[in-house]
Amino acid sequence: MAPALLGLVPFGFVAGVAAIGSGLTPAQGVALSVLSFSGIAQLVACQLIAVHSPVIVTVAAAAVVSLRFLMYSAAIAAQLAHLDWRWRALLSYLMTDQSYAASARRYSEPGANEHKHWHFLGSAMMLYVPWQASVIAGVVAGAAVPATWSLDFAVVLTFIALLVPAVRTRADLGAAIIAAALALVAAGLPYRLALVVASIGGIAAGMAIEAWRKR
Amino acid sequence: MTAWLAIVGVALATFLLRASFIVFIDPHRFPHWFRQSLKFVPPSVLAAIVTPGLFMSGGAIDVSRDAYPRIAAGLVAIVASFHVRNTMAAIVTGMATLWGLQWVLGHFT
Repeated sequence: MAPALLGLVPFGFVAGVAAIGSGLTPAQGVALSVLSFSGIAQLVACQLIAVHSPVIVTVAAAAVVSLRFLMYSAAIAAQLAHLDWRWRALLSYLMTDQSYAASARRYSEPGANEHKHWHFLGSAMMLYVPWQASVIAGVVAGAAVPATWSLDFAVVLTFIALLVPAVRTRADLGAAIIAAALALVAAGLPYRLALVVASIGGIAAGMAIEAWRKR
Repeated sequence: MTAWLAIVGVALATFLLRASFIVFIDPHRFPHWFRQSLKFVPPSVLAAIVTPGLFMSGGAIDVSRDAYPRIAAGLVAIVASFHVRNTMAAIVTGMATLWGLQWVLGHFT
């Protein structure tokens, strides 16, 4: 978890800076972070709020970049099925790319599953608290960071660190390459629709490659 | 007011997607192809987010000389992540490459 923490601090800081930059008040910036607890969704929302997009467009774009959660949710649901709904709702709220990865490893280890949700909660809180603190630091310090530091690029690097291990098979690689190409080809579309087009195209490509390889 | 609506909407969307299968629906009620398609979501969505960060600036594709440091830094970070599976490796090597190349381009051209 420690390396994940080091990546999360600049990311949270950038998300805080972006919230202020998009015209949100400090209270709104912090509320967005506390309620959604997802750096990617927060950043995409801020980009769209900044250009005064309709609410539905902002929400839809944040939902598309959050489709990953659907996959994590499906993957981990069976391990959490024995918990009552409050536990399941709490762990859902706290789930991130990093805590999912940590818990998936923990659940694949031998031993009974009954108490592993405490590990999930622990690893999630180790991200939650520093995340919110770095967002607040970004909201407060916001405009004082010189643009020449290119701090926003640290966010791209964080996503690269998530992307590379997510590519495990040739079908994954095909999905990523097609999505990357579509993201540039469709770049001219309004409302960050390129992201939607690229994501769906990548998923379709991955499935096509897998179907073809299985023939 | 509009901003608050957007904030609540984004919060609901992220929560409902996370809670989808954990709280609400049994994934086995969905067809096999749908569950198969989910495993391609992370590589696709993440690639679609990363690529514009390397090859675009200000909303347009930018592969001019100004973009070289970003592109090179991204490639270095990809190679680093491939060998060392942690976020810090990508951030340290990427930012070092970015700042180094920006400094070089700023001083020697």
